[in-house]
This record gives sequence, structure tokens and C-alpha cells, in this order.
Amino acid sequence: MRYGEKQKAALSFNIEKHIPLLFVLPCFIVLLSVSVFPFLYSLWLSFNKWELGIGQRSPTFAWLSNYARLFSDSRFLGSMENMAEVLVFGVGAQLLIGLGVALLLNRPFRGRSWVTTLFLLPMMICPVVVGCNWKMIYHYTYGPLNHILRLIGIGEGLNWLGSSDLALPSIIIADTWEWMPFMMIVLLAGLQSIPEELYEAAKVDGASRRQVFWYITLPSLKTIIIIAVLIRMMDTFKLFDLVALLTQGGPASASETISFYNYLTGFKFFNMGYAASLAYIQLAVIIIIASLFLRFLRKEEGE
Amino acid sequence: MKGAVLKMFIGIALVGCLILGTSSSFGAEVVTLTVIGDAGHNLKPFEWYAPIFKEEFGVELKVIGVPFGELYEKEKIEFVAQTGAFDICIVYPKYMGDFAGAGYLMNLDEYVGKLGTRMDDVAAGYRDFYCKVGGSLYAVPYDGDVLSLYYRKDLFENADEKAAFKSQFGYDLKAPATWDEYVDVAKFFARKAGDKLAGETRKTPFYGTAFYGQRDQIYAWWGNRFASMGGVYFDEETMKPAVNSKAGVDALENMKAVVPYCPPDVLAYGYEELKDIYLNGDAAMVIQWPCVGKKGGDPNQSKIVGKVGLAPVPGVMKAGKVYSRAMMPCGRVLAIPADTKHPWKAYQVVQWLSVVSSCADVSTALTGLDPYRLSHFETPEAFEMFPTAEDARIYLAGIKANMSNGYPEPPIPGSMEYIDALAVNIIRALEGEKSAQKALDDAAKEWEGITARFGLEKQRKLYQGLVAGWRAAGLWE
Amino acid sequence: MGDRRLRTRRLFQRNDYFVILAFVVMALLLIVFLSPIFWMVTTAFKDKGEYFTYPPMYLPKKLDFSHFFRGLKLGGAKGIQDTLIVAASTTALSMAIGSLAAYSLARFRIGGKHFAFWILSIRMMPPIASVLPLFLFYRFLKILDTYEALIITYTIFNLPFAVWMLKGFFEELPAELEEAALVDGCGRLGAFYKIALPLIAPGLVATALFCFMFSWNEFFFALILSRSNITPITVVIAGMIGGHEILWAEISAVAAMASIPIIVLAIFLQRYLVRGLTLGAVKG
Repeated sequence: MRYGEKQKAALSFNIEKHIPLLFVLPCFIVLLSVSVFPFLYSLWLSFNKWELGIGQRSPTFAWLSNYARLFSDSRFLGSMENMAEVLVFGVGAQLLIGLGVALLLNRPFRGRSWVTTLFLLPMMICPVVVGCNWKMIYHYTYGPLNHILRLIGIGEGLNWLGSSDLALPSIIIADTWEWMPFMMIVLLAGLQSIPEELYEAAKVDGASRRQVFWYITLPSLKTIIIIAVLIRMMDTFKLFDLVALLTQGGPASASETISFYNYLTGFKFFNMGYAASLAYIQLAVIIIIASLFLRFLRKEEGE
Repeated sequence: MKGAVLKMFIGIALVGCLILGTSSSFGAEVVTLTVIGDAGHNLKPFEWYAPIFKEEFGVELKVIGVPFGELYEKEKIEFVAQTGAFDICIVYPKYMGDFAGAGYLMNLDEYVGKLGTRMDDVAAGYRDFYCKVGGSLYAVPYDGDVLSLYYRKDLFENADEKAAFKSQFGYDLKAPATWDEYVDVAKFFARKAGDKLAGETRKTPFYGTAFYGQRDQIYAWWGNRFASMGGVYFDEETMKPAVNSKAGVDALENMKAVVPYCPPDVLAYGYEELKDIYLNGDAAMVIQWPCVGKKGGDPNQSKIVGKVGLAPVPGVMKAGKVYSRAMMPCGRVLAIPADTKHPWKAYQVVQWLSVVSSCADVSTALTGLDPYRLSHFETPEAFEMFPTAEDARIYLAGIKANMSNGYPEPPIPGSMEYIDALAVNIIRALEGEKSAQKALDDAAKEWEGITARFGLEKQRKLYQGLVAGWRAAGLWE
Repeated sequence: MGDRRLRTRRLFQRNDYFVILAFVVMALLLIVFLSPIFWMVTTAFKDKGEYFTYPPMYLPKKLDFSHFFRGLKLGGAKGIQDTLIVAASTTALSMAIGSLAAYSLARFRIGGKHFAFWILSIRMMPPIASVLPLFLFYRFLKILDTYEALIITYTIFNLPFAVWMLKGFFEELPAELEEAALVDGCGRLGAFYKIALPLIAPGLVATALFCFMFSWNEFFFALILSRSNITPITVVIAGMIGGHEILWAEISAVAAMASIPIIVLAIFLQRYLVRGLTLGAVKG
């Protein structure tokens, strides 16, 4: 080092004091500079009426009429219901199956990395193709799924995409298939980070497998589980490709999710103001859900 | 002396530059035009004729392919933001009201005077419903889509089936001419696995018919019936929606009557499913686009080569004659954005494609473009995908008949919203959730709401302008 | 290390029955999850008229690779290249900036919970609402249809993800090791770089993999923000879904080829993911 001892100490002292802020600064600058405009623009737009669908040149101020329209819009309410179904059943299934597979993969065995990679495959395929692929699979007459069901003897096959009852579950199944690997990998990473001594201490104490799982494994995973579920929920709100390719929100609006309806209002009907208000209501809902999750997390951590 | 020589050199240099400069502007000044359209084989003609465009018009084309389902929003966003990024657009006609009405597209009337588009050669329906807005020409046709009735010729000519049909229904089996006959034939041909069909035992179910059940275009299948029963979208005077008139309800009831004889997942059927159920030999009839006829003769894609029959879309009996209208969903036209920097060159390119090369383009198997000019219908030998010219001639005659009865998609601004509201309600009725009358009443109410949001007066004027043009062309009562 | 192997061996001896059950379950799950992929891969070899048949074609008639070449020619090659550039750049950027921010948030609680929540809320913004403003913003900066536009956009969504994932992993990490390093005279940066980062290697790997994959598979922004200079692979594949012709085989073929870079990345990163904590420092 070319600096003298004293100068080095002084320099590092000054930087050390500001490290917390410096570490966070690049992130803050990047996010602020690019996200501010979209946020404010859409917020402003949600209070305006801008029917681009018929060529209205510029927005006209409309107070809260967009938001008022939301609550009497049965399509919107239906899509939120569908969204809730997907969140509960879809993310729930992904969590359970993902946890199961992660636990199975946690102990080392020969070929483990290959098996892990194989389980990862569904998530690595372009979502557009996942949609096309499952569209073929779900075909009533020519699809392999019904063919296998018929071979096993389960009736004539199920009307996966053409009935209001099964349209949304079909999407949920495809979505679970696609995103289970996400949960699996995150939980696996979490499991792998649990310190060995905890297990060893439990073994010394003579704990059974179930006790080890409930009292050591799960609590250590709590933070990771909550964050993973939170992120999956946020992303599921954006579920679009599968809906667009499998059912287009149909039959009628049985499998229409909020993001698909938002896409319709914004990019097919071009009701720009209304679409912006839909987006902000979505944002409000997600923020409420996220806050609840995080409050639960903090309580667990005893903050 | 040195000064004089210098001046001479400068003089020669200046003159040389002048000559070079003027020659380069008089010669082929090559301009790059950007074309936007749906990705895939329909953009091929732009590639094929690139050398000609360069030679004759001094134009080089940059072609941007956009996914089919997203072409509208991509074009719209660029128009709204006034990026001026395109010089030629492929547009789906149902958006012409939107684009032309908002002033995004160039009025072509002026150029038509200089270089004609032979619009008199274009099938009347296509020309007046889809290319003209408010009496002015805004686009030239590129791909003609119209629905036709395809049926299994061989089954309809089978002696056993004919006898059985006659005994069950009391009249001769033939391609249904009315919608009631359509239901009868569908019911007759719906067979379960293990039943006999034309002397053979079916291993899988056989369906009477199928239709496009997905939300984006199902209204066209209802529209065939609606139009033939005399329906109109709006009341001209008041702009009150007329989809829930008797014609609308009857049309929807007829569609409902046919659902039991269709595949169970018919409400999820899009283009591919509809084509395959027929070409795989699992349905007796479908109402579909022209390309099914073209693919029917290809042994790689069709299991019923030689058995494809084409007929006019069914209609209703009116004064002893069958009155039928065929919807023309989708389709493509070429338009020029108003803010292009090279309007004349762009016009030359689209004129070429629509007039000069169109016959070659619609008759080749390398594109998905379909015929729309009377001259196309009169050159069956050009259509290479048919085994004989006679097959092509029969096919073209059928398409022409349907196109001359063409009925437009609602081309008014906001068409997407109107269509979506209608489709959702139609599907609810087909599923049995609502009665046909209630479903259409709900649709009409939603339409009223949409019109109110857009401004009743504005929409009414636009609609009246459109109808006036159609009436002048003799296509509207 | 020795302890661990001993423990594993004893487990196997005592619980053979349970282990066999575990393997059977795993094999079943593997079959269930891989069969759609099998269908996709075999579809890539099928020709027109073979996609929708009864009975369904489980095995292709022949291993015809022409669809792979055709898919590459139809924009697949450039698509993979463009998306590779975008995804790699945004992942590198998000991981670098995000790990620093995550460390600060975890250790020092900078800005309290509100700042952390603000970061997360950026990812919550529905893309529909941000597309038009971002389009106008990039047009103003004249970077429409460039790599930069997509890289910036994806970073906005990847950064909050990276920050929150890594924050979670940092928070689970006991701070004693870094304290020890600080006492030894190592600066904060050194403690971060030499101690904390390596210890959350599994978390880093998982997060990087996801950032890469999210960017790789994103469709909507890719569609709107690109025209012809940049052709992300998702838009290329969607372009094969035509109105009257869907190129099923080419779609499957290009998707399979497009997954290869990610699969290679995942295999490569596996080592770090499941290495586990074996540093003696933890015990001692």
C-alpha cells in the first residue's frame, strides 16, 4: 500500500461510516430514475378518460369515474375471483410439491445434480411454448392427456378447456407444472443453508424424523418460504401467457384473470384511463397482501 | 498563371460535383420503406418482389413481422406515439374504422387517380366494406377471407346415408341450404364410437359439425345466421343496438341447437382445432375459411382428399329463394400511414401487390393469402394446390358465391370492445348459463354503455356514413 | 467432512424402507413433470398433419431435424443471440447492484422497512400500466428497439427480486463471522466480498438463475419495445403462431434450442447450489 498508516486509517474510516448508504445507492438511483415516470404517468392516467379505441386525441380529466366504474364491473370482479382461486390453489400446490421435491433432493445421492436439472426444465421453457404445448395436451379429441385417461378407463376424457368448470383448473395445473421448480430451487437453497450442527444436536438428543422436520427444518425455512410465496404471488398476478394461449379467458369469462382483463382493456379496447385504474387497484391489492405477509414474517422474527 | 489553373481546377471540380449530384438524384435514389405485418408466410410476397421494387420504384423494404394476435396493439401504440416508424401496414379490416377514423392512415383517393387499383375487379363486399371508410379509399385488399360451408361430399353421396336421412327427415340429403336444415344434418351425422358411418364402424365419435368457439371470432359464426335472418348491428336512426332483435335471438337459438352435435370442447376451438376436426375426417361439416379448401387436397394435411365439398353458407328462405350472407372475419388490407415520408413510393408498392402480383400470391401454397378479385376466381389453373383445374374451379366458384353475399364485421371504431361484449354473452348462452334472449339483451345493454362512453353522436355519424356507402354500393338494404 | 459421510451412511442403513419409498415418489414425480416436455420434444420432429391425430403420436415417425433448421432460419438464431445478450447483461447488473443493496438492508436496516418495501413494490407494478409510459420514455431517449431499452426494463423488475431474495439469505446468515473478520481488520467491503457472499452461494446461484430466466422468458415488454433490430426469442416464437397457420414443430424446436443455454447454466451452477455448508469456520 502506498498510503501511510494514518492516512489509510482515516480514509477507511470515512468510507466505512458511509458504507451502508453507498451499498444501497446504485440500486436506489437505478430504480428511482426509471420507475418514477411510469408510476406517476399511470397514476395520473387513472384519473383521466382516454378512449384511444375511437381516437380520442388527448386525455380528459374524469375524477374518480374510472374507479367507480370498477366496482360495478362484473367482469372485473369475476377476474379478481379467478385470480384469488389461482393464487390459493396454484401457489399453494407449487409450495407443497416444491417443498416435497426439495426435501427429496436434500440428501445427497448419485446423479442428484442431473435429477435437479431435470426437475428444473419446466421453468426454463418459454411460457409462450408452455401454453402451446399444453393446448395440444388438453385437446379433447386429439390430446394425449385424454387419450391416457381413456386408456386407463376414466370415462371419455375430460372437457379441459371448453367447460367453465375445468377451464381455470386447467390453467392452474399448467401454471403449477411450470413454476413448481421455482419453489423447489429456492427451498432447496434454503434447506442447504441450514447449519449442520442443528441436525447433529437433534440427533444427539434422539429426535425423531418428524420432530426434526417440524422443529428444525421448517422454522429455519420460514423466511425463505414467506419470501418465495410472496414473490410467486406477485408474479401470478401477472399470469397472462397461459390464459391467452389456452382459453383466451374463456369460455365466456370463466378463466379470465385480472391481468388478462387488464390487457384487454388496455391493449385491445384501448380504454387507457380505465386500464390504468385497473392496474392501480391490482397494485393496491398486491401491496395489502404483501404487507400482511411481511407483518407475519416480522412477528415470527420477534422484531 | 497558377491562379488561373487553380480556378480552372476548381471550376471543373464544381461542375463535376454538380453532374454527379444531379445524376444521383435523377437515377435510382433508393429509399428504405418499413413494412409491418403479421409474421409468417403472408409476408413472403414482400421478399419475392424485392428486386422488382428496387429496380422499378427505387425502394428497399425492411419487413417487420409481429405475432398475429398482437399486430393491432403494436401498430396502435406506434401510431398513438406518432413514431412514424412504418411506411406500409398490413391491417385487419375490423380496425379500419379505428385507424382511418383517428386519422392514422392516408387517404388514397388522390393516388388512385394517378395509378388505379382496379377496385372494380375486387369482390364488392370486400371493396366497399373493408377498404373504404366514409366513401374514401384508405386501403387496398391483400387477402380475402370469407366463410364457406365445407362438407363431406362422399358421405352426402352415400346411398345408405341418403336413405336413412330421407326416412328420418323426409327430404333429400344435400348440403344444407337453410339453417334449419343445417341443424337436421348435424343431428343426423353425429355418431358415437361403435356406430356405423357410411358402412364403416367408427372407433371414435363422429361429429355433425363444429364452430369457432373462442372469444375472439365466435361472433362471426353467429353473424352468418344473424345476417341472413335480416339482422343489423345498430338501428341507423337512433344508434340503438339491434343485436337482440328477433334475428339475433333466432340466430343464437340455432347455434345452441347445434352444440350437442359438436365436440365437447368446441368452446375452446380456434382455427387449428376447427380445421383439424374436419380434415381428420371426424366432422361432417364445418363453416370455415378458404384455406381449408386449399389444404383439403394436400395428403400431408388432410385425410379426406377428394372428399371435400364446398357450398354457400346456409341462409333462410325468402320468397321462395335462399337468402344467405357470409361473414368475412379477419382478412388483410394494405394501408399507408399518414405520416410516412414516402407516400407515393409506398403506394406504388401496395398497388403492385394488390393488382399486379395478387393472382400469383393468392394461388400459391407458399402463402396463406386467399382470393378476392373476380380475376382470381377466373383463373383456376393458377391454383397449384388442387389436383386438377376443375377442382380449383369448383372451389373458386364456391368462394366467389359466398363473397358476393359478404357481410362485414362491425368496422366502427371500438369494434374490439363491441365484439368482446357480444362474444362473452353468446358463449354464456351456448353454455346454458343464460337464455338466448337474456344474453343478447345483456349484450345490447353493454353495447349501449360502450357507445355512451365513446359519445353517441360521434358513433352515430360514423355508422351512418358507413351504411350510406354500403347502400350506395348496393350491399345494404 | 468425515462426520457428514458417517452420518449419511448410518441414515441409509437404518432407513432403507423410507429411502426406497422416497426414490419411488421421486421417480413418479419426475415422470409426471417430464412427460409434457417429452411431448414438446417429439412434436418438434412431427410434420404437418401429425400434430393432432387420433391416437396421438407419441413418437415421431422419423428424426427429422428440418424443423430445427427452419426455426433457426425463421429468426430463431438471432432471437437466441439477442435474448442471450439482454438476459446476461441484466442478470449481471441486477446481481451486482442487488447484492450490495441486499447486504445493506439485511445488516444495517437502511431506510427501515419502508425503503425495503418500496423496492419490492416496484416489481408489483402490472406491466400493462408501465408499457405505454416506458415506450414514451424510451422514445424520448431514442433507445427504442435497442438492447439498452430491454436491459433497463428487465433490471427494474429483476433488481427488487434480487434484493429481496438475497436479503432473505443474508438475514439467515449469522453475523458473527463477519464481525470476526472486521475485528481482524478487514473492511466492510472485504467482509461482504470474502465472507458473506461465499456463504450464501446457494442463494446467489438460485437468484442469478431466476433473474436470467425471467429475462429470457419475458414477452410483453419484448414485444412492445422492439421492432426489428432486436428480436427477442419470445417474440420470434410468438410470431410462429399465425392466424391461419401455427408452426407447432418449429415452435417446439426453437423452444428446445432456446432452453439449452439456460440448462447449461443450471448444470454449471448446480455445484454451488448444493454444496452445502462445510466450511470449518462455522464450527470453530
